[in-house]
Amino acid sequence: MPKPVLVFSEKPALLAEMIAGGLQFSEDVYAVVTGPREAADTAVQHGARRALWAQPPSSETLVEDAVPTLEALVREHQPALVLVGATRRGRVVAGRLAARLDTTALTDVQEISAAGDGFQIRHMIFGGGAVRVERLQAATVVATAGPGVFPARAPQPGAPGEVLPVEFIAPQAGAVLRERRPRAGAVTNLAAAKRVVCPGRGVAKEEDLEMIRALAQALSAEIGCTRPLAEGLNWLPRERYIGISGAQVRPDLYLGVGVSGQVQHMIGMSRSKIVAAINKDRNAPIFASADYGIVGDLYAVVPALLEALKKR
Amino acid sequence: MHIVACVKFTPDPSDIQVRPDGAISLERAEWTISSFDLQAVEAGVQMAEQHGGQVTALSAGPAQAGSSKLRKDLLSHGPDALALVIDESLRAADTAATARVLAAAVQKLGDVDLVLCGEGSADLYFQQTGLQVGERLGWPVFNAVSKIELVREGRLLVERDLEDEVEVLEVPLPAVLMVTTDIHEPRLPTMKEILKASKKPVTEWSLSDLGVNSASAVEVVQVSAPHQVQRKGVLITGTPEEAAQELVRHLTKEGIL
Ligand SMILES: Cc1cc2nc3c(=O)[nH]c(=O)nc-3n(C[C@H](O)[C@H](O)[C@H](O)COP(=O)(O)OP(=O)(O)OC[C@H]3O[C@@H](n4cnc5c(N)ncnc54)[C@H](O)[C@@H]3O)c2cc1C
Ligand SMILES: Nc1ncnc2c1ncn2[C@@H]1O[C@H](COP(=O)(O)O)[C@@H](O)[C@H]1O
Repeated sequence: MPKPVLVFSEKPALLAEMIAGGLQFSEDVYAVVTGPREAADTAVQHGARRALWAQPPSSETLVEDAVPTLEALVREHQPALVLVGATRRGRVVAGRLAARLDTTALTDVQEISAAGDGFQIRHMIFGGGAVRVERLQAATVVATAGPGVFPARAPQPGAPGEVLPVEFIAPQAGAVLRERRPRAGAVTNLAAAKRVVCPGRGVAKEEDLEMIRALAQALSAEIGCTRPLAEGLNWLPRERYIGISGAQVRPDLYLGVGVSGQVQHMIGMSRSKIVAAINKDRNAPIFASADYGIVGDLYAVVPALLEALKKR
Repeated sequence: MHIVACVKFTPDPSDIQVRPDGAISLERAEWTISSFDLQAVEAGVQMAEQHGGQVTALSAGPAQAGSSKLRKDLLSHGPDALALVIDESLRAADTAATARVLAAAVQKLGDVDLVLCGEGSADLYFQQTGLQVGERLGWPVFNAVSKIELVREGRLLVERDLEDEVEVLEVPLPAVLMVTTDIHEPRLPTMKEILKASKKPVTEWSLSDLGVNSASAVEVVQVSAPHQVQRKGVLITGTPEEAAQELVRHLTKEGIL
């Protein structure tokens, strides 16, 4: 029997993607779930042969506290691969698990294939300036992948997998949770969006995002953004930014509005079917990677575009 | 308090050259301080200024990483001392190997309370190494740290900036924290600091001094320029109204609208 693949993510949508990633290599994808029972059921519907459901002792338990449980499950099941969703917490989980297994972690893989007794992966280095192909032979390979790398399978009610309760192994006393404050903005699944409107620093004021929201609505699009809008300006939640350190999207339409087109951003949207851009600078790098580019002031073009869409 | 700030010296990614066959050359790249590691240095120096203590910068890498220019540049940003681990094999180290070396160096320094790392290295940006250092030391370790406060002896209050929430944790020392790029603006060295930098102590260790090997399990198969998708490159000018209508026409023709 080929070795199983163990997958983990604290985000149910990303877990579904990790399950899809694991199914490339093995029918035995075991999803480790520390959320509610429904999350375990959902994992099975997305194709996990087993949902190993470990219930944390309290709501104050940190996501990262799952590491000892994961380590024990790796030692028990000897998976060929552990795939972890590359959220910030997921990176901690993967890194700590790798260190406990005395192995390395392959980070932010964009492609993964079996190679000999291990795996070959492709990921970005130099902030997106180069692609590196790496190979790793190890009893268990630990890797992380961000949203959008492995498209999730549609959930199948009545899928044959099973939910197996497993022991949550409490970590030694360490950090204590003091507070959790939600960040503004609803949870999105940008990775699955068919259309994405992406504002960049060309948008001068936070209020002006209203205009962008109207445009997104007119196009039935999700809003993504460049990193400065989510980190630094804090206008939009971090999970909305697209790029090497953010989400990977592959919509039918990506529309950049006041986005310059730096490589770190473009990496995250290069698989879009059609790329359109609005930028007042004719020499903006984004035009070189766009199918359709409007050279103009977004403050004039966006309202005109709203009108034109209304008239259709 | 003894704080260690992990700083990588890297080839400047903006000096990357793509050869005609798509291969990447860094031969002409100038070596610099990895862009986001000065934030870790700054966070450490501010803590030491507030609560007393000293900051040791720690860096591991091949010979280029030990140049006197880089040493001085780093020390002029405020650390009290520098510990260097120099070995040619570190050029190709995977995150496990680097973490093994850094963890051994922290142990050799002895009385360390807090290790700070950047968000990710400028060349690889794996956002991993510090996490593995923490686990190898057996200390609490967290990333995405945007605020650090000492609440009482041996305990920090740490704010983490996560995708959809801010998490506040009380973290016992010793610990390892990876800080965000916007935790603090790194200071610009003053003339005085630049002059002082060359007098600060620098310790240089070999791998055998630390008793670790830097063997990497990851085999690099290929490095190349990213694949470029061919795009149509249609530039639309004219009045905003004309341009908007033309874009809508194109998108309709493409079957998008
Ligand atoms: C290691 C690393 C990782 C990174 N990861 C990411 C990442 O994952 N995602 C990401 O997005 N970035 C990332 N960045 C940052 C990235 O390098 C760029 O700084 C960022 O993408 C730029 O965002 P921007 O295009 O919104 O802003 P800018 O580069 O400032 O561009 C603004 C654009 O708006 C145009 N403009 C201005 N006013 C108007 C107007 N009125 N009408 C029309 N156009 C206008 C300007 O001509 C300009 O082209 C990373 C950087 C590093 C070093
Ligand atoms: N060779 C090194 N020497 C010192 N610190 C390092 C080294 N490599 C990585 N680090 C630290 O680990 C962080 C994450 O690196 P990386 O996992 O390569 O993105 C960096 O921001 C540094 O603080």
